[in-house]
Amino acid sequence: MTAVLSRLREVAVVRRNNRSDWLLFGTMLALSGFGLLMIYSATQAVGTFSMERQMIFVAAGLIIFSIASNIDYREYRSIVPAASLIILVLLVAVFFFPPINEVNRWIPLGFFNLQPAEFAKVVVIVALATLLAPPLSRDEMTGPRVLSWAKMGQACLLVTVPGFLILREPDLGTTMVFGFILFTMLFLAGATWRQMATLSAAVVGGVAAVFQFDLLSEYQMNRIRVLFDQTIEPEGIGYQLVQSKSAIGSGQLVGKGLFAEDSFTAFQYVPEQETDFIFTAVAEQLGLVGGLMVIVAFVVIVWRLFVIASNSRDRYGALIAAGIASMIVFHAFVNIGMTVGIMPVTGLPLPFLSLGGSFYMSMSLALGIANSVWLMRTPVPGENQLT
Amino acid sequence: MKFAVRLSILGVAFVVMFSVIGLRLWFVQVAQGPDIAQAAEEQTWLSKSTQAPRGDIYDRNGNLLVTSRLVPAVYVDRTFIQPEQRPELIQRLSSMLTLDPHQLDAAYEEAGTNGRFQVATVNNEIAYQITEQLHSLPGVEVVKVPERVYLAGPTMSHVIGHLGLPDESDLEERPDLDTSVRIGKLGIEAYYDEMIQGTSGVQEFRVRRGNIIDQRPAAEPIPGNSIILNADSDLQQVVELALEEGIALSNEVKDELRAEGEEVFADTDRAAAVVLDPQTFEVLALASVPDFDPQQFVGGIDSDSFEALNESLAFNNRAVSGLYPPASTFKAITYTAIQEENLPFPSDIEGVDAANRQIHCDGQLELPELADGSPQVRNDWYAPGNKGWLDIHGALEQSCNLFFWSLGLGTWENRETVGENVIQDWAKSLGYGSETGIDLASEAPGIVPTRQLFEEWAAYQIENPDEPPRLDPGRLDPALASPWFGGDLMDFAIGQGNFTSTPLQVAVSYSILANGGTVMEPRIVDRIVDSNGELVEDITPPVVGTVDISETTRTELLTDLNRVVTSGTAQAAFSEFGPGLELVGGKTGTAQTTATRDNHAWFVGVAPIDDPQFVVAVIIEEGGSGGAIAAPVARHILQYLMSNEPTPITEGERAD
Repeated sequence: MTAVLSRLREVAVVRRNNRSDWLLFGTMLALSGFGLLMIYSATQAVGTFSMERQMIFVAAGLIIFSIASNIDYREYRSIVPAASLIILVLLVAVFFFPPINEVNRWIPLGFFNLQPAEFAKVVVIVALATLLAPPLSRDEMTGPRVLSWAKMGQACLLVTVPGFLILREPDLGTTMVFGFILFTMLFLAGATWRQMATLSAAVVGGVAAVFQFDLLSEYQMNRIRVLFDQTIEPEGIGYQLVQSKSAIGSGQLVGKGLFAEDSFTAFQYVPEQETDFIFTAVAEQLGLVGGLMVIVAFVVIVWRLFVIASNSRDRYGALIAAGIASMIVFHAFVNIGMTVGIMPVTGLPLPFLSLGGSFYMSMSLALGIANSVWLMRTPVPGENQLT
Repeated sequence: MKFAVRLSILGVAFVVMFSVIGLRLWFVQVAQGPDIAQAAEEQTWLSKSTQAPRGDIYDRNGNLLVTSRLVPAVYVDRTFIQPEQRPELIQRLSSMLTLDPHQLDAAYEEAGTNGRFQVATVNNEIAYQITEQLHSLPGVEVVKVPERVYLAGPTMSHVIGHLGLPDESDLEERPDLDTSVRIGKLGIEAYYDEMIQGTSGVQEFRVRRGNIIDQRPAAEPIPGNSIILNADSDLQQVVELALEEGIALSNEVKDELRAEGEEVFADTDRAAAVVLDPQTFEVLALASVPDFDPQQFVGGIDSDSFEALNESLAFNNRAVSGLYPPASTFKAITYTAIQEENLPFPSDIEGVDAANRQIHCDGQLELPELADGSPQVRNDWYAPGNKGWLDIHGALEQSCNLFFWSLGLGTWENRETVGENVIQDWAKSLGYGSETGIDLASEAPGIVPTRQLFEEWAAYQIENPDEPPRLDPGRLDPALASPWFGGDLMDFAIGQGNFTSTPLQVAVSYSILANGGTVMEPRIVDRIVDSNGELVEDITPPVVGTVDISETTRTELLTDLNRVVTSGTAQAAFSEFGPGLELVGGKTGTAQTTATRDNHAWFVGVAPIDDPQFVVAVIIEEGGSGGAIAAPVARHILQYLMSNEPTPITEGERAD
């Protein structure tokens, strides 16, 4: 009898632990649906079928999420080298295709353009976690950790190689994402203050070198300059920033209303308002209330990722979840910051809201992997906790 | 530090980041929101300008010469075009309008974000085709724009001018020009551009899905002012035809001369004429051949046609910018200087009777040994044969070079007392050597040579040996006292040497002589009225000076000019003038050019001599003899002016 009861209890635990993180998934779904609505509002005047395209990407993303959820994230340790190699090949391959709008970011596949840099973010997070997680040991979650200088060097190399390729595309925003991920993951992996200071100094030195040797193109420099002087390029990004701020500001507390006829969004006055500037459409039509709702949704996602990180069965899973969290935070911060004029126009999209196939699918993949970390958090009975 | 602690630190950092954007959002939307909203309301309005029609141009009799009509034009407004739609749009528009896609793409680029630009004016058929397809051509509009119509064709083309898109130098001068609107480039279209271009209207509207959903009261375009010319288009046509016939006559004569074995150079196709009212300085006609059709420039001229016109120098308005030695037409000015200043005759020369102020006009002037190296014998190249003893009246009638040479020499010999520049000063006060101030651009000043000018040129030439020389190198010899010789003054006295002038200057100088000394700036435009016909500006040729000419000299000169056409060098040309010949005066001129070009044929006419109303200056470039070629052309024009039936232009006497 007791044996039967104990068995039932075990089954109940297994059942509970087999439940996906529905809050994470639900928030992602809500943001995606909201994004479709916003894309529709931002493109209805031109009728480019943008929302319909994004619906296909959302559907693909949901499939990717469920597949990734059902794959044991620990399996990735073994395929990290191969995945890294493939992504590097793809990052080199973009230079062999004709540039679009003067940048080499995409591999045209006919039905959509693959942007390898988006998937590179996820691969780099998993690879960094693989590198930085300690060898499996019973006390890995509790014992003191020291990050060796050698490992730190390896981690930097792991990020610098794809980061450099992406900078050459050029895509300054994504390169910055890589830097941010490296920074947070090294910190979590136990870097000492001295190691962090050294890395910071290297970054500062690198940035100084970039300015010193004019490694940034004129247009990238202008995107930074325009933060301080919006009269630069009054026809280009200066115009974009001024329009975006006007649109958001005029949204005020509750916005002009969804599909409001008088909005900048409806008039198509903000360039790229369905992609990088989608938040402008939100904040103009739904006001501060709508804008804060989106921010809160991101807070919920990041909170869930932190919960997943702290409940992970191993440091490897925790690093993955935290790395994904920092990637999403950075995207949201830089993107929204850009629309309200406190961050440079770097072309970083807003996760789950902005129109874009590769980006949406890579974000779904990231959350799917995080969900897998959640699903695997407790060893089920009979399972060897060490594996 | 434990992992959980590090995770918490990161969490706090993330919360701070989200708080920063949350606060910023609050600041932009709530703290600054109302202000931004107010400003943004204005930004949702778009505006586009509607081109104003340029003013009309009428001749003095109210004949409409130039007007504007509305034609369809294709515009592209980038506000409604997504970047990805651009290549297809460029490709489709350029094939529909048969334009170079690269040029269209460049124009698109230049218009800038949210820019709007005119692609082309089109005919009704293409306008209809495009209107049919507007639903699939985002950002494309078909609107009516004013287009220039030149009703007179090439008639008066140099006076009227033509239009063209503003170039860099125009934009430098007038930075607020709309680069897609054509402006005047020549003639009065250019000179009075700002008066006649009108004021563009503004239309403010809001658009959704390519439809205008909201409109604000628009500022209507204000049509440009109209111009009424002093010129008479009927007279202008007579003048232009006469010039064409004069050119044909010249080429016929050249053929005859060639057949006779005489040395003749290339045929000509260039001529100019001015008809001026000497009392008011109103320009009654002003013509230059070859000409062009200003209509070709409407909507843009293709580069081949432009090059062809440019090659033939059709844009040169020879009447105001062509420079020619005034030749014997200048003798009327020297005549006046001699009479007014009582210029002295040279001493001790055979054939000069200083006491009776007469010259033995036998075609050869033997000069004393001159220290400055001038030739000692001068042959009158054009009037051989013995004309006997002539006084100043007979000398003008027969265009005797010897007489005026002698006075040049006498002036040079007595320069200490009469002044070495006395004849040049008369020339300058009668308008030579500077712009007349006519209301047309690109007027040439011409050159009145003096000793001072030659010395400046010589100094410059010595300092800049690489530049093309203006003076014969022999004149730079340091042994010479000056590069200016007495012989140069003699040549100047007969309108030759380095002396150059425009046909308009010649007409102006005769007008001043004919009206008794009033110097005015000629005007081609009589008045400017607005689109309702209300007077905006009455243009009166301004009086800029007076020259003291005694009434005796004036009437004697006019009488002598009449002798030219009744018994002098233009007698043959004027033999069929008809009634009123006694009221017509004139002077022939045959300007020497280079060794490989024929002489320019000049004639200046004045009528009626008892109360001068018309001064006619005609030049047939490289046309040959003034008496043979230019005088019949001027006679034809004067017949028209004096209400005689103009008789055909046939060769006159081959006289200087």
